[in-house]
Amino acid sequence: MNMHVQIGWRNIWRNPKRTAVILTAIIIGVWSMIFLSGLMRGIADQMVRNGISNLTGHLQLHPHHYRRDPSVDHRISDAERLAAVLRQNLPAGAVWSRRVRVNAVAGNARHSSGVTLVGIDPAKEAQLSFVSSAITRGRYLRSGDNRGIIVGKALLAKYETRLGRKLVLMSQDATGEISSRAFRITGVFQTELKATEKQFVFVNLTAVQKMLQIDSAISEIAVLLPSHQQADAVAGQLRQALAEHKIDVSTWQDLLPLVKATIKIYDSFIFLWFLVVFIAMGFGIVNTTLMAVFERIREFGLLKALGMRPGWIMRMVLTESLFLLMLGLLAGNLLGMLSIYALAETGIDLSAFAAGLEFVGMGRIIFPVVQIRDVVGANLVVVVLGLAVSAYPAYKAAHFTPVQALTHT
Amino acid sequence: MGRYLLIIAAVLMVMWRPAEALDGQAVVEAGFNYMRGKTSVSVVTMTIQRPGWRRVMSIKAWTRGTDQSLFRTIAPSKDQGNGTLKKGREMWMYNPKVNRVIKIPPSMMSQSWMGSDFSNNDLAKSDSLITDYDHRIVATETDGDIKVYVIESIPKPDAPVVWGMQKLKIRSDHIFLMQQFFDEDLKPVKTMLTTDLQKMGDRLFPKSWRMQNAESPNEYTVLEYQSLVFDAELPRRQISLHALKNPGRRP
Repeated sequence: MNMHVQIGWRNIWRNPKRTAVILTAIIIGVWSMIFLSGLMRGIADQMVRNGISNLTGHLQLHPHHYRRDPSVDHRISDAERLAAVLRQNLPAGAVWSRRVRVNAVAGNARHSSGVTLVGIDPAKEAQLSFVSSAITRGRYLRSGDNRGIIVGKALLAKYETRLGRKLVLMSQDATGEISSRAFRITGVFQTELKATEKQFVFVNLTAVQKMLQIDSAISEIAVLLPSHQQADAVAGQLRQALAEHKIDVSTWQDLLPLVKATIKIYDSFIFLWFLVVFIAMGFGIVNTTLMAVFERIREFGLLKALGMRPGWIMRMVLTESLFLLMLGLLAGNLLGMLSIYALAETGIDLSAFAAGLEFVGMGRIIFPVVQIRDVVGANLVVVVLGLAVSAYPAYKAAHFTPVQALTHT
Repeated sequence: MGRYLLIIAAVLMVMWRPAEALDGQAVVEAGFNYMRGKTSVSVVTMTIQRPGWRRVMSIKAWTRGTDQSLFRTIAPSKDQGNGTLKKGREMWMYNPKVNRVIKIPPSMMSQSWMGSDFSNNDLAKSDSLITDYDHRIVATETDGDIKVYVIESIPKPDAPVVWGMQKLKIRSDHIFLMQQFFDEDLKPVKTMLTTDLQKMGDRLFPKSWRMQNAESPNEYTVLEYQSLVFDAELPRRQISLHALKNPGRRP
């Protein structure tokens, strides 16, 4: 064994230029696999996190039909009973908050457009969504402050208004009439996505309940679990517990189908990318190894004549490939990790394309994320397939006869 | 002498107080009622002017009090039969081409009415001026030899209105001369001016109403009354969903 390693190592440095060329190919290939998958994972991760903190939470409870028709007609009146069930069934560390969420029209003297009016419980909401932490000017809602409203920075600009100004909200109330109510802008939030800033306005839960004449009914409960992996299990448990309550329990995957689909697409994209890189790299490896083998026909003939068994020769050639691959992987991984590490702090700033990115729900700055399974996958692909394609030259080398070698000039 | 002065002063006070204290609310309400009548039937041409185009249409309108009205487009023939019904604060629209009545949802209330400078809300919440504002007479002018009250109307705190202020000019014979809408910074947004006072039906009435966008001079809407009859006999069914859906039956 030792001998194979020694001979293999020396063999690959017999032609340093050729080795350097193929090493470069492998290094670039591996680097691109790791770096690109890191970027894609970063984008996907950000979409998930944006989505979850964007009022989604890990789980949501809605009255039946609310998700199909998010209007005030579908509401949960016995919120207290539901709260009791939640307290029994949620794992320790989970936080949840009640909301009323309806479509409304916000207007002032200059502008009016559709928004999503969200009535929140300020203290509880602060624990599970972005609103409280994203306030850049003014202040967050206080409970009992039934005239305050929090709007996004982009909405403020669109309406040509500012803090302290009035915003009139209109929506359909429980009796089917149009009810309107004036609010004063007390806080401004800023988020990664402009669309979010324009879409959501936040007021106190009691203010919306009064405006829509729904007493203490709510339209949504959002739950944040200690970890998002628990979502499915807890959802199942809640569905059982709430079987006769006419409540829909949805996980974040149900609520963010686009994100879920995007993650799937990214998975396939990463797989395809690995494949493409490997095919390009594989041809290089086969070519180099074949060249190395054909150059040394006389040598293999001699070895055969000296009594070396074909298996050993094969093992020798494969060891050479393995060294090439290992060296390439080492440098490639190192480079990949270094470039990801270098970007971990600052991210890649894509502000220039922000409008386009927002369309697909991406942030302005991408922070790459390394997933162990991608790195292991990339390395395994290169080693296993690399050895597999080297098997052909190795086989060739093993089956030269001394006579063939002699006649070869 | 001093006693006389005192009496004169007292008399002056008594005479002067009611005139000055004649509160804005009463002036506005009186003006409102005068312009509306108990019922009215009118034909109006509406001209919508925009930088790129201009559109003229004729509308027939029936109103009862402040909260019921029906508008029906009678020309051009392309738009004939389009109707808007207002009852209380609700509005419905009817389009004969699709033969459907649509209740105007909240989302459309602040959009413009038939493309004009009037919003659906201007129609649906026309009484908001009376209920949601505090009116104060800030000055008086004269129009010819008739006194004109200049009124500043500030929305009541928490009133669900978008305007920061409205400025009204109402003649002492109840005719609205101007209604100007301000945003919360008290910058004008749009202004309605009435001109061309004529005897229409049984009363003096401005023939032309012009809603002017404050920021672009060539965006405005002009309503021109062709005919106007007040307090005519108006059957209850004339302003109803049924009437909205059946434009063919003219009263």
